[in-house]
Order: sequence, then structure tokens, then C-alpha cells
Amino acid sequence: MHNIIAAGENAILIYFGREIDATLPKKIGQFAKQLKNALGDIIIDVIPAYTSLHVSYDLNKINHQALLDKVTVILNQQEDDTSILLPKTIQIPVYYDNEVGLDLERLLLEKNLSKQSFIELHTAQEYWVYAVGFSPAFAYLGEVDVCIQAPRLATPRVSIPAGSVGIAHNQTAVYPTDSSGGWNIIGRTPLDLSLKKPENIDKFHVGDIVKFTAIGRTEYLQSGGSL
Amino acid sequence: MSFKVIKPGFLSTIQDYGRMGYGEHGLSQSGVMDEHAYCWGNYLLANHFNDAVIEITFAGLVLEAKVDTFVALTGAEVDFKINNKAVQIWCSVKVHKGDILSMDNPKSGIRAYLAVKGGFNTTTLFGSKSVNLRENIGAKLVAGDVLPCENHTQANYRTMLKKYKPNYQQALVLRLIPTYQFNDFSTQQHDLFFKQKYTIDNASDRAGCRLNGTPIEYKQYMISEGMSYGSVEITSDGLPIVLLKDAPNIGGYPKIGTVFSLDLAKLAQRPPNTQVKFALININQAQQARQVFNAFFEINSN
Repeated sequence: MHNIIAAGENAILIYFGREIDATLPKKIGQFAKQLKNALGDIIIDVIPAYTSLHVSYDLNKINHQALLDKVTVILNQQEDDTSILLPKTIQIPVYYDNEVGLDLERLLLEKNLSKQSFIELHTAQEYWVYAVGFSPAFAYLGEVDVCIQAPRLATPRVSIPAGSVGIAHNQTAVYPTDSSGGWNIIGRTPLDLSLKKPENIDKFHVGDIVKFTAIGRTEYLQSGGSL
Repeated sequence: MSFKVIKPGFLSTIQDYGRMGYGEHGLSQSGVMDEHAYCWGNYLLANHFNDAVIEITFAGLVLEAKVDTFVALTGAEVDFKINNKAVQIWCSVKVHKGDILSMDNPKSGIRAYLAVKGGFNTTTLFGSKSVNLRENIGAKLVAGDVLPCENHTQANYRTMLKKYKPNYQQALVLRLIPTYQFNDFSTQQHDLFFKQKYTIDNASDRAGCRLNGTPIEYKQYMISEGMSYGSVEITSDGLPIVLLKDAPNIGGYPKIGTVFSLDLAKLAQRPPNTQVKFALININQAQQARQVFNAFFEINSN
């Protein structure tokens, strides 16, 4: 059912499935919380991502085999317990326009869609947070409607402004800081999701839900968005 | 009460034991690259195991003491001088207000650690003082920086037996715990991996040690998953990257195993073009060896 493997001298990896699946983020997010509650300071860190949960632990307190035994017991208790974590919904306002959406015009042509239909497709979906990582508070969100999916750029851009909203294959994400990257940029949020606001560290958890809402140019600028 | 940076050298940053508990938020573990030299520095000064030090890469750091206290320099063998007079490394040394400390000319090893009694009291961000340049958490030292610390006129001296002093010129075998996708690699691929000598690439940094050698043909679609400190990715060009303290928390390359942490400490002192080999260790041996290390240095959370 669950496959558990060693990941290091003080780490294991628990697989909850073999393929990416919309039911997994909530399950994995819940289990991460349950495991931390049950094992307290034995757990150093958890990294939920797509189909798996990486767990590092204090090897002064427990060895590999004893940890595997404990985790297995908790996994077996977990199955039906959905009360522990209600997914949080995070709203992100986005200004969808060529002015900030560096790839929007090209995508509309490629997909033969009006801007309005494109925006409707991107905002209609409730996205699961599949993983948080690569860089701080960067949340991988899925799944993007098949009509607006697009592969990564062949050559990543050197610089993408903070707040940019991108699409790569079946996933979408917001760049929290100025960075390089190969996602197709379709708009920008006025929200500051960077760690300049330290509370942003806690913004996204695997198993949360993200909804995008379309805003106009005026509202974007009034909310602190830059061009 | 502080030290003032006169010259920062090539790359000097404040580091501690690491930023634990933020992996789920996308942060790296961060912290010192050579846990062995770092722990000795804090041990010699009877510090807490997590006290912050300066990690000095390729030397060149010059500091002015604005405090009376004790310091210990460990790690790379450098010319350590106070007011232009040679001072021993791997032991605690008294410094006085106005002293100029310089660290130059690395002869063996590439990272030196300057510990101070009570630790450097710089800003704590997300539970740690460790600087991570990739994540824009903190910054490298620049001339004029002021590093706060405590005043100490008396110290409980501790010393290190000569036999514990590492030899960074020694041939390095990285002991690998079979983890992750180890069993998905074929016998031929294992043979190729364990029999060859790899060479450390110039592009190695605090995020990863890149190795050059004969590529392993291995193509498999992978879903991104959490990565451990020391895990060895086989990238699409067939060459290994040993993931280190500033590595991203998740990644999508297959991993052939995880290097034992105390061998990663040794790896942190090897310059580019050094040859390294891999050999297997089982997880129980690795855990026992690490427990001994933790007990000696009073590391009560690992």
C-alpha cells in the first residue's frame, strides 16, 4: 500500500502513490501533520511533494528500523481520519494582460483562445498545492485545464519579475521573487509573496487549495502591483 | 562588543548547525559545510553545538576585534595571524580589543571556521543564523560589517588531541548508503559507479558537489520528491551531483544513494580536480558512527 524507503542516515521517504493524483496532496499534507503530532521532537523536518513525504528524524532518539515500525503503525491508523486538517483556500488576485503576461499573447494564438476564455479557464480551477519548494514559498499548483497547458520555454528567461504567474505543462505557480525560469508567464499578482514578509513562509502548505481571481489594471496598481 | 570585518576574503558567511524544520516551506537546510571542523571549533570554546561561526572559503578574511574574548580557528590549514604574529589553529586563542586577525594562504583544505566564545550573535532568520545566498537569506560578509559577540575574559580551555586533526590531502572514499532509487540501477551501472574515480568539478558550490567521470546511462521519468543532505543525483548527462547544505528541498533526478554525513564533511575540504571514489556502507553502521560523533560533541538534535 505505502512503500517506505531509506533516504539517508536520518531520513526516509514514504510513497503514497506511483502517479500524480489530485487525491494525494490532501492525504500527504494530513499525514505530515499527524506524524509530527504523534512523534514530536523525533521529527526534524518533513517535505511533502506530489506522491511522497520525505521525513528526517533525530537519530539520537530513534534508529531506522524503530522509526519504520512507528511510521507504519501511524500510517495504518491514518486511513479514515480526515478530520485533522481542513484544506485552506488561498485567493490570489491576478492581472492577466500582455503588459505583465510575457507569454500571454503567444499562448492565445497557439491555443486559439480569446483572452476572456483563457482567463476563465485559469480562474475556474481550484488548484491543489502539490509541493512547495525549489525556492522558498514557491508552490507547485495543479492541475491546469488541458486547453491552456503549455510546455516550459526551451530557453529559460534570465529574469522574471516577482509576482509573475506561470504555466508549465499541467502546473501553474507564482514566482515569489525576481528569478530566472522557464514557465509561460500569463499575468502578475500585486501580492508580495516573498520572504521580505517573513509570514509568507507559512503561506502555502501541501494539501491547501489555491484560487486565482482576475483583476483589472486599476485594481492591480492600487493593490501595489508594479509594471 | 563585536568583530569588525576589514577584508571579507573570497567568500565568508555566518553559518550554524543549520535551518531545521523549514523543508516543507521550500527552504534548504543550510548551515556549515564541514560539520567536523565546525563542531571542534565550538567544542574547543565549550560553546553550544549550534553556535554561529564564520565559514571562510579560500581564506582572505581580516577582522578587527572590538572585544576581549576567545576564538578558535579550525578546518582548512591557513596562516592564522594575530597582529601579524603566527597563531596555532585547532585550539582556543585569547584576543584583545584592537587585535587584527588575519587568515591567509590556504595550504590544505578550502574552508576554515572561526568560532568565538558564545557564538556570533547575528540575526536569526527562520530559526537559524545560517546565510543562504541562493535563497537571499542573509548576505556574505563585506568590509565594514559588524559581527556582535559576547565579552569573555575567562575561558574553560579544551584541547584537541593531535590524532583527531584531519588530513585533507588523504585519498577520499565517500561511503554511500543505498537509498532512494539505488535498486533501480543495474549491476553494470553500480559497477561503473563504484569502480571509477570521479573528479570534483569547478562548478561545485554549497548547493552541490558536481563530479566528472564516465557517464552512467540512466534515463527514467521521475516525479519530484524530497531530497536528503548528501543524496547523489544522477543528472541527465549521467554524472553525479552530491547534494549539499544549500541544495533545493525537492528535485526530479534519480538518486543512487546518500553519502554518510561525516564523509560530506571531508568532501567540503576538497578543492576542484580532487579525485574521489564511492563505497557502500549500511544504514546501521552510518547511524552508529554518527551517534558516536553526536554524543562526543553534545549534539542533542540531529
